[in-house]
Amino acid sequence: MRRALIALLLLAPLGFLLFHLFVSGAEDPIKYIYTVSGGTALTLLYVTTSLSLLRRAANFVRYRRMVGLFAFFYAVLHLGNFLILDMELDLKMALSETLDKPFIYLGMLSFAILLFMAVTSLPRLFAKYVRYHRLIYAALLMTSTHFVMAQKALSPLQWGMVAVMALIGVLKLLQRTGRVRF
Amino acid sequence: MHYLKKERWEKGGSSVTDEKLFEGRRSFIKLGAAMAVSTATVMELAAKESVPAPDLSYKNDPNSMDLTPSSYGDITSYNNFYEFTTDKKRVKPLSRRFKTEPWNVTVDGLVEKPFTIGLEELRRFPLSERIYRFRCVEGWSMVVPWIGFELSALVRHARPLSGARYLRFETLYDPGQFPDQQRTLFNALEYPYVEGLRMDEAMHPLTLMAVGLYGHSLPPQNGAPLRLIVPWKYGFKSIKSIVRITFTETPPLNSWQRAVPAEYGFFANVNPEVDHPRWSQKRERLLGSFFKQKTLMFNGYADEVAQLYAGMDLRKNF
Repeated sequence: MRRALIALLLLAPLGFLLFHLFVSGAEDPIKYIYTVSGGTALTLLYVTTSLSLLRRAANFVRYRRMVGLFAFFYAVLHLGNFLILDMELDLKMALSETLDKPFIYLGMLSFAILLFMAVTSLPRLFAKYVRYHRLIYAALLMTSTHFVMAQKALSPLQWGMVAVMALIGVLKLLQRTGRVRF
Repeated sequence: MHYLKKERWEKGGSSVTDEKLFEGRRSFIKLGAAMAVSTATVMELAAKESVPAPDLSYKNDPNSMDLTPSSYGDITSYNNFYEFTTDKKRVKPLSRRFKTEPWNVTVDGLVEKPFTIGLEELRRFPLSERIYRFRCVEGWSMVVPWIGFELSALVRHARPLSGARYLRFETLYDPGQFPDQQRTLFNALEYPYVEGLRMDEAMHPLTLMAVGLYGHSLPPQNGAPLRLIVPWKYGFKSIKSIVRITFTETPPLNSWQRAVPAEYGFFANVNPEVDHPRWSQKRERLLGSFFKQKTLMFNGYADEVAQLYAGMDLRKNF
């Protein structure tokens, strides 16, 4: 029951996106899909890593895999938007764009990490590969940079998001080094 | 430079809006909004949408490029106007109470006699409709039926001195009206917003000082009451809500060049061959259509303006 509710909550951004695309109408749909799918994926990645910070207050760690997989799902939408709608499946152009623009290859590298984590989250593989799941920190760093670089200028709201991301980063670092116990 | 000799604006009484036509604009309006716009497509759009009744009289654009204007709704609700916010959709509600009257523009620098001119006076320059492509460096575009006068008319009126080689434009600085100007820490840009043109670009007949669109005065979100339109350059060159024009000897440092010099140059000509370091400029998405279209060299105005940049390396001079 609880699991279903959380899944529903995690699907809300998709519902929001579809509503705006097909009902209220977005002026620049491709850009809009980028923003919502990317923003959600990034947020969920941070949520995934922060769950262990809250372990004492509320133990949601058992939902971590689910949240992580939803983050991957939004990342797939984001990449799909790039390849199918934006590049119109012109793979040659997609490749040259990727190699040409640092923020795109940061995004691609992050996606590769997420893909690896999603595949190895299957129960049998997980035990074997769990220690490599620390790669999520690399993905977080690259995705955050990707997000900042994609903006023409950061709005106050986006500065706030960067501040929250940095705070989570510091807390995780303190937790990892064992200086503070959460 | 012989701009002083060509005082066409002062001599040519016929090019000023006919007083009878000007006085008769009320009856003109009664003929219906559709009369004021030039193509059947526009008429259709105008009929469907709540385009405000035209309040400007002007010469229609024959629309020889056969462009279909974007809808009035799209043009006026999807705006980059960082003084209000970086959110394109929130500019319209945030700018609703923007004060455009009284409005004065100061012309100074290397001119015979600096002056300040009111909006009413500016609107007496011969107004014409110009249906132009408008492309943003971010990769979206639209087609806008602007109403305005040629900047060259104002330049001649200003009688620039022979040393004047560039024009520097400035947007209103008024933190009381512009939320982003109140921020000192997380402001998107340094203000006031500044843009510049070389003299020959300013004198080009395509370069427009827009006071309206779709026959109606500019809404605040589109840069009321007076903005620059240089159709072969990226949108950020066309500075909004202008209060000062200064003639200078050296190229002015425009706002985006000051903010991120590696990404924005002085010229900002639309050029599919030269990518912005983060965004490809090969294609663009026209507002209202889902898929992208190819971007044209100089935004489709190469025949008219390419000679201005003959011999220049456009990769360096971006």
